[in-house]
Amino acid sequence: MKKTMIGGALRRSAAALACLAAGVLPAAAANEARPLEPGSEYLMVANYPNNLNVVDLASESVYKTCPLPDAFGPGTTQIAPDRRTAYILNNRFGTIYGIDLDTCRLTFRAEMSQGDNERAKSIASFTVSADGKEVYAVQNPTTIHRDHYRVGAPRFAVYDTRAGLEAKPVRVFPAPRQANIMQAGEDGSVYLAGPNLYKVDVNTGAMTVALPIRDWQRSTHAPLDVLYIWPVQTPTRDFTILYTTAKYQDDKQDMATAEYQYGYLNVNLKSGETEAREFGPLTEIYFTGLRSPKDRNIVYGLLHRLTKYDIAQQKLVQAAELDHTYYTVLSNQAGSRLYLTGTFNDISIHDADTLAKVGQVKLPGGDMSLGTGQVFVR
Amino acid sequence: MKIRTLATAMGSMAALGVVLAAPPAHASAEALIRAKCLPCHTETEDGISRISHQRKTPEGWLMSVARMQIVHGLKITDEERRTVVKHLADRQGLAPSETTGVRYAMERRLNTVEAFESEKFTKMCARCHSGARVMLQRRPAAEWEHLVHFHLGQFPTTEYQALGRDRDWFGIALKEMVPELASKLPLQSEAWKQWQARAPQTVKGEWSLSGHLTGRGGFSGVMKVTAGEGRDRYTLAFDGRWDDGRPMQGRGRALIYTGYEWRGDLVVDGTPMRQVFAVEDGMMRGRMFLRDQDEVGADVVASLQQAGNSRVLAVHPAYLKAGEGAELRIVGSGLAGEVTLPQGVKLVGTVKRSATEVVVRVQSDAAARGVHAVAVGKASGGSLALYDSIAAVKVSPAFAVARIGGNGTPTAKVEARFDAEAWAAGADGKAGTEDDFRIGVVPAKWSVEPFDEAAVRDQDVEFAGLMDAASGVFVPGDAGPNPVRRMSASNVGNLKVVAEVAQGGERLRGEGQVIVAPPRWNNPPLP
Repeated sequence: MKKTMIGGALRRSAAALACLAAGVLPAAAANEARPLEPGSEYLMVANYPNNLNVVDLASESVYKTCPLPDAFGPGTTQIAPDRRTAYILNNRFGTIYGIDLDTCRLTFRAEMSQGDNERAKSIASFTVSADGKEVYAVQNPTTIHRDHYRVGAPRFAVYDTRAGLEAKPVRVFPAPRQANIMQAGEDGSVYLAGPNLYKVDVNTGAMTVALPIRDWQRSTHAPLDVLYIWPVQTPTRDFTILYTTAKYQDDKQDMATAEYQYGYLNVNLKSGETEAREFGPLTEIYFTGLRSPKDRNIVYGLLHRLTKYDIAQQKLVQAAELDHTYYTVLSNQAGSRLYLTGTFNDISIHDADTLAKVGQVKLPGGDMSLGTGQVFVR
Repeated sequence: MKIRTLATAMGSMAALGVVLAAPPAHASAEALIRAKCLPCHTETEDGISRISHQRKTPEGWLMSVARMQIVHGLKITDEERRTVVKHLADRQGLAPSETTGVRYAMERRLNTVEAFESEKFTKMCARCHSGARVMLQRRPAAEWEHLVHFHLGQFPTTEYQALGRDRDWFGIALKEMVPELASKLPLQSEAWKQWQARAPQTVKGEWSLSGHLTGRGGFSGVMKVTAGEGRDRYTLAFDGRWDDGRPMQGRGRALIYTGYEWRGDLVVDGTPMRQVFAVEDGMMRGRMFLRDQDEVGADVVASLQQAGNSRVLAVHPAYLKAGEGAELRIVGSGLAGEVTLPQGVKLVGTVKRSATEVVVRVQSDAAARGVHAVAVGKASGGSLALYDSIAAVKVSPAFAVARIGGNGTPTAKVEARFDAEAWAAGADGKAGTEDDFRIGVVPAKWSVEPFDEAAVRDQDVEFAGLMDAASGVFVPGDAGPNPVRRMSASNVGNLKVVAEVAQGGERLRGEGQVIVAPPRWNNPPLP
C-alpha cells in the first residue's frame, strides 16, 4: 500500500503547484558528473519533477542538476558536515536519501516504513548529526490491516550514515506526536520541534524541554502557534523557528483587544543557548525567518514580501515587494545576499541590507514547492 | 498526480447516475458484496466487518466504495457498484428525520456556511470537510474509532494543521470525539427503526412542481412519474413553463434509495440535470441542478396528485404591487374549489384551471399591504406579498464562492449566481425593522466592486471575473498564475456584488459578496 495518497493541505498545495508549473522547462542537464569545487559557495534545492539542483553562488547560475529516484515531495534537504553529501526527505515524505553531490550518486537510502503493512511518514522531521555519522528521523507509522488502519506511536529512529541503500535504524526511541523539524547540536544532541522544542539525547532517547511551546503558559500572552517545516542550516548555526502569539492588554486576557505579535524560538547549535521572544507586530504572514549573519539584532521574514525587523525595537524596518510568493529565505555565509526559494522554479536574489532584488536563477524543471534548500561552502 | 486522479474519479461519480443500471436483485447484491468485499472484510455472526456497522446516505456509500476502488484496489464495474450502493443504502441508510438540516451536502449546495453547536466538532471534524458529511453517518463507538485511525493514517498532516497542531489532536479525537459522535450519531436509532417499519412512499403519479433557478427565474409544471424497469426505478416526464412564459420540458429516469431518497437523471431542454429530492407523504423537496455544473441549480418543491393531498405549493409570481393587476399562477395538487385571495385583491377572471394549476387575473387595491395566504378550496400553503414600494434590496445569497478554473487545468470554473430580493418596510414604514416583509425576486442591474483595499490594490474587478449585468451570474476568471497580475497571482478575488433596482427615478442598492477562490481540487459527492 505504499502508493496510497497521503493528503492534507501540504500535499494538496504541492500537487496544485506542480500542476501549474510542470513542463515549464526540461529537467536535468548532462552535468551530473561535474564535481563541486572546494571553497566555492553553493545553494542546493530540490524541485519537480524530481531534481536536486546545485547553484553556484559566485556566478549565480545552475552548476549541476542531480536526478532523484522515486516520487517528489517534500524535497526537504540537509547538508552533511563533509559539505559533499546531501540528505533529502522525498518520495511523499516516505524516504530519506543520501546523494553524493560530486557525482550525483545515491549513497544512502532509508525507508520510513518498517514492514510491509506499515506506512510511515516523516513530516520534515530529520537531520544529520554534527559529526556526519548519523541521520535522525521521527517517523509517524500507520499499520494497514486488511479492513482497518491503526495509527502507531511515533518513533525517533537513528541511522548509521554508512548503512548504504537499505539502511535500517540502529536505535529507536519513542517520540512525541506532532514532531516536525530538527537540527543537530554540536554537542551531539538533537533539537526537535513538536509540542515543545525538545533536546534529545540520541543515545538514550531521553528528551528534555529546551524551549516550551505548548507548555509556555504566560499570563501576558496567548498560546503560541507554530507552523514551521523548513529546517534551514544557517551560517550562524542558529536553529530558528517563527511563532505567532497575541499580547493581552491586561489581566482580562481579551483576545479582541490583544496585539498580535511575531516571535522566534532560537537555539544556537554551537553554544546550546536558547532564546524565545517576540520581534514585532504580526501584520502579515511569513513561512520562514532568518537571523542576519551580520547583525544579531536583525531578523528577516518571507512569504508575500521580504521584510526586515529590528529585534530590540520590535519594529518592521524595511520591506520589499516580490515578483511572487516565496517560502524559504536562505543567506550566504557572509550575510550579504538573501536567496528566496520555494514555490515556483526561480530563485530570487536580494541584497541583505537594502532588500533590493539583484539577481535571479531559473531552475531546470518545475516548482520547488515546500522543500527546504541549503547554502554551504564545499 | 494521484490527487488529480482521485478528484477526477470522484468527480465522475459526483452524483448517483441511474442511466443503464440493471435492476438489482437482493440475492445477487448480497452475493456481489460477499465476492467483492470479503477478500479484505470478514464475515461473522455480527455481519461483515466494518460494513455491517455503519449507516449512511447513498452518496456516503458511494464514496466508501469508490475509496475502496481508488485507494485499496477494489475492482468493480460501475453497474456492480450501483447495485452494491443501492443495497447498502436501502438496508443501512438514514431515516428522513436523520438527514434534517444537513441535506444541503447531498443537494450540492456548496455555498452553505455551516454552524454547529459543538465547537469541538467544528474544529475537529468540520475544518477539513463539511460537518454534514459526518452528520450523515451513524456508527457505534468502535466504528467512529476506526474512522479516527483512518483519518490520521490516510492524512498524516491532519495533526499538524491549524487547529490540530495546538492541541493533542489524536488524543482528543479518540477520547472525546469518539464518545460524542457515538452518542449523537449512534448506529441504532428509534427513527431508523420506525422508518423501516413504515409503508412504502407512493411515488408513481402526477407531481405538481414549483421551483426557482437563481439567475434564470421561477418555473412550474407537472412531472409524470411512471414505473421503470425494476424495483424503485421510475421514468419521468416533466412539462412546464418558466415564469417568463417559455416552455420547459424534461425527460429522464429516477431511482429511489432507502424508500425516499429520490435521485433523478434527466435532460431539460437539451441540458443534463440531476434531482436530489426527499419524498415524504406526497411531497418532494430538494434541489435540481445541472449535471455538469452543479452550482447552477433550483430549489424545488413538488406535490403528488392523490386523494387527501390538496396543497398550494407556490404562487407565480408571489408578489403584486398595490393598485395593480396581474396574472397569477397558483401551483399545487388537488386544486379544486374556490380561489381564496388576500383581502384587497379582487378576482377579475379565471384564465384556466386544473387540479395542478389555477391561472387567475387579479386586481389589488391601492391600500393592500403585507404577505397573505392564497388558497384553492381545501388546498392551502400559498402566499402573495402586496406592497406599495420597495424599501430595501437584499442580494441573495449574501455570500457566495466562485472558483477559477479551465485554462488547461483539470477543474472547470464554478460560477456564482445571485438574486435581488425586494423587501417592503412593513406597517411602520421603516426599513430594517422586524415588520419588514419579503416581496420577492425582482430584476436588477448587476455589477461588482472591490470588497476592500486589498481588492482595490490587486485590481480584483479587472481580473477575478465578469458579472452579467442582466442576470446576476458571475463567471470567474481562468485558473493558473497570471503573469500580468501583481505577484503573478491567480485570478482570485474578493468582490462586492451590487444589485441596483430601479423604482421610479430612484435606484435602490443591495450588496452581497463573492469570494473568487482557487479551484476545489478534491470534489467528492459529499463535500
